[in-house]
Amino acid sequence: MIQHVADMDYRPPPGMGGWLPVEATIVNIQPENFNTRTFTLRFVDESLCESYRFEPGQFNMLFVPGVGEAAISISSSPYQIGALDHTIRMVGAVTRGIDRIGVGGIVGVRGPFGRGWPLHKLAGKDVIIVGGGIGLAPLRPLIHWLLRHREQCRRVVLLYGCRSPEDRLYAAELEAWSGRSDLDVLVTVDNADEHWTGPVGVVTNLLRRIKVNAEQTVVFVCGPRVLNRAAAWNFLQLHVPPAQVYVSLERNMNCGFGRCGHCQYGKHFVCRDGPVFCFADIADIFAKEEI
Amino acid sequence: MSQTSAGDQKYFLPRAGLEPLVGILRQRGYTVLAPTRRDEIIALAPVESADQIARGVHDHQDGGRYRLTQADPEVMFEYGPGADSPKRYLFPPELPLVELRVRGNRFIPTSQPPAIAQYAFLGIRACELAAIKVQDRVFGLEGQDTLCADAAEYYRRTRRRALLIAVNCTRPGGTCFCASMGTGPAATEGFDLSLTELRDGFLLTVGSQAGAALGAELDLRAPTSAEEGLAEMKLAAARAHMPRHLDTRGLKERLEQTIDDPNWERVAARCLSCGNCTMVCPTCFCFTVSDSSGLTDGVYGRTRRWESCFSHQFSYVAGSGPVRSTIAARYRHWLRHKLCTWQDQFGVSGCVGCGRCITWCPVGIDLTEEAQRLGRHVPGAGAVPIPKAGGTKEALP
Ligand SMILES: Cc1cc2nc3c(=O)[nH]c(=O)nc-3n(C[C@H](O)[C@H](O)[C@H](O)COP(=O)(O)OP(=O)(O)OC[C@H]3O[C@@H](n4cnc5c(N)ncnc54)[C@H](O)[C@@H]3O)c2cc1C
Ligand code: SF4
Ligand code: SF4
Ligand code: FES
Repeated sequence: MIQHVADMDYRPPPGMGGWLPVEATIVNIQPENFNTRTFTLRFVDESLCESYRFEPGQFNMLFVPGVGEAAISISSSPYQIGALDHTIRMVGAVTRGIDRIGVGGIVGVRGPFGRGWPLHKLAGKDVIIVGGGIGLAPLRPLIHWLLRHREQCRRVVLLYGCRSPEDRLYAAELEAWSGRSDLDVLVTVDNADEHWTGPVGVVTNLLRRIKVNAEQTVVFVCGPRVLNRAAAWNFLQLHVPPAQVYVSLERNMNCGFGRCGHCQYGKHFVCRDGPVFCFADIADIFAKEEI
Repeated sequence: MSQTSAGDQKYFLPRAGLEPLVGILRQRGYTVLAPTRRDEIIALAPVESADQIARGVHDHQDGGRYRLTQADPEVMFEYGPGADSPKRYLFPPELPLVELRVRGNRFIPTSQPPAIAQYAFLGIRACELAAIKVQDRVFGLEGQDTLCADAAEYYRRTRRRALLIAVNCTRPGGTCFCASMGTGPAATEGFDLSLTELRDGFLLTVGSQAGAALGAELDLRAPTSAEEGLAEMKLAAARAHMPRHLDTRGLKERLEQTIDDPNWERVAARCLSCGNCTMVCPTCFCFTVSDSSGLTDGVYGRTRRWESCFSHQFSYVAGSGPVRSTIAARYRHWLRHKLCTWQDQFGVSGCVGCGRCITWCPVGIDLTEEAQRLGRHVPGAGAVPIPKAGGTKEALP
């Protein structure tokens, strides 16, 4: 029996499911690329720092007073207690608002919400992780978890794609991971620069470079929609069973806990039933437009 | 509140007994909400006297059409539901959730949780009781959250205090199809009291202990068998003259196969994506919580408002725009949610057959017609004509 974080109780701490977010201080900001930064948050309430737990793949609603809330994945290791990383791409009102607050300022947090990566499906399997762009953020806690429980599964492969070498998230960490013998890391970029010696092209091209033992493989995908589709499709083509392919989806979110209706995806509420879905559960709608 | 089985206790309430009923409810601290005539529609509004309840009017409803006409001044409830439903009160269109100030590194709430009103709904219809039952499931009536500010908690508290006095429909509106949905025209459960209008009073049925306690204070007598028979006949006639019909057999399964149906495009050519259907629907529950800032006082507000899946921002995703960018996709989401995926989510149909979305659609799109067409498509044959549904429009005298 795998002992994993998911065995703990993930209900948001009291008060965090309502509409008054709890305060967290931005204690560090780490630039990742031209429009993405990792914000390390620490709850103002010390006891919450201790008690707050999350499952890799879950997200928080981050709040800027007077502006709004945005769903942001928790990107730190589930074993890093007391400080939570959120890797944020500045795209609109809330995300830019968080950026303006700066180190020492406070943001509001509600969460954790959603269902994360199914850690109990990994025993004895090859694990292939596919990330694109900002999609690496919710995969990072998973990778940290896997590195702690490395003996539970067989091979672990990370395939990551982004626009250019400068766009890579967690560049230093990627380097460190690449040096490990218990983790195969392949990074590809759309546009290389003169220093880039790795592969160029879309992330699904990397599939040619690895051997996939279909029946024995569990796949975790998070990226833009085109990548999610292409990756899922490619692995199904390789005969990975649909029940072993997991995709994290993105939808407009307002409440985060299955009430506001915004994130509906067919019969699912992505915030509550996802964001991580088993392909077998969404096979009827995954390839359809505008669901 | 424990409900005794409906139909056990029947009484006759004289027409003049409505006034004392309103009085007793008000005395007990209830805000009495009843159908009133306002701006030429029937609107659910607070009343202080039974005189304020709409009477002597008939409604004429059809796709995109709503009119009131004068009727026998003695008849009271011979009209169907207006645009309003109890949803307006149990799940208000706009609800301030919390206000806060930022003091140092803390958010200080400066507001009290929303006050919980005590409503007595008088004259709501069987379909509206059914809609309340649907929303009870949506908001998890039995559940318990820690904060009143939670979307569901306001509903639960208001709902638990509410008293429901139903009126059975003896003259269905022109867009009703409650008989198809198994929700009307007569209320069979979920009410405290129900009334069936007779010539000079009402056949009153007690549906709960609270209803029985209320009944004990009214001037009731045992009904004659003629009165009971007349009430039955009127309801049977209403059922027989239901103007619209939706064949629900296998409907969910049929709709599951309709994602690629060509008929969505056909509806989209007419649909204005105005969202009226979702606003008037007594079961739609979507909302948006939006933030505001008092420019001068430093108080930040969080307000919940009804939202419609027909709006652009509903499915908006930064970077790529709305997920459902076309009207066809939005109408498809709406209809399939109401009649199909709602059942997966909450174990009941999201439609109770009240007909509001048909009446208040500016172009008169009729979901009973659209649902009949869907999923009957033969590949290559294009859109198929709609099989004739049972019943005709405005069949009652
Ligand atoms: C489960 C999940 C995890 C996410 N994790 C991350 C992450 O780790 N890092 C990151 O940078 N981004 C993440 N996103 C995307 C992020 O939520 C949006 O970029 C963000 O909401 C944009 O908000 P805004 O106010 O800056 O943009 P605006 O364009 O001003 O958006 C206005 C509002 O619309 C809603 N909205 C807009 N886009 C999205 C969206 N893509 N998803 C959900 N709601 C949206 C939000 O309520 C937002 O406040 C995630 C989204 C989801 C659904
Ligand atoms: S979908 Fe239309 S008919 Fe059905 S409950 Fe809603 S408003 Fe009434
Ligand atoms: S039909 Fe649309 S507005 Fe109504 S509950 Fe469903 S998603 Fe929300
Ligand atoms: S974000 Fe509100 S229901 Fe999913």
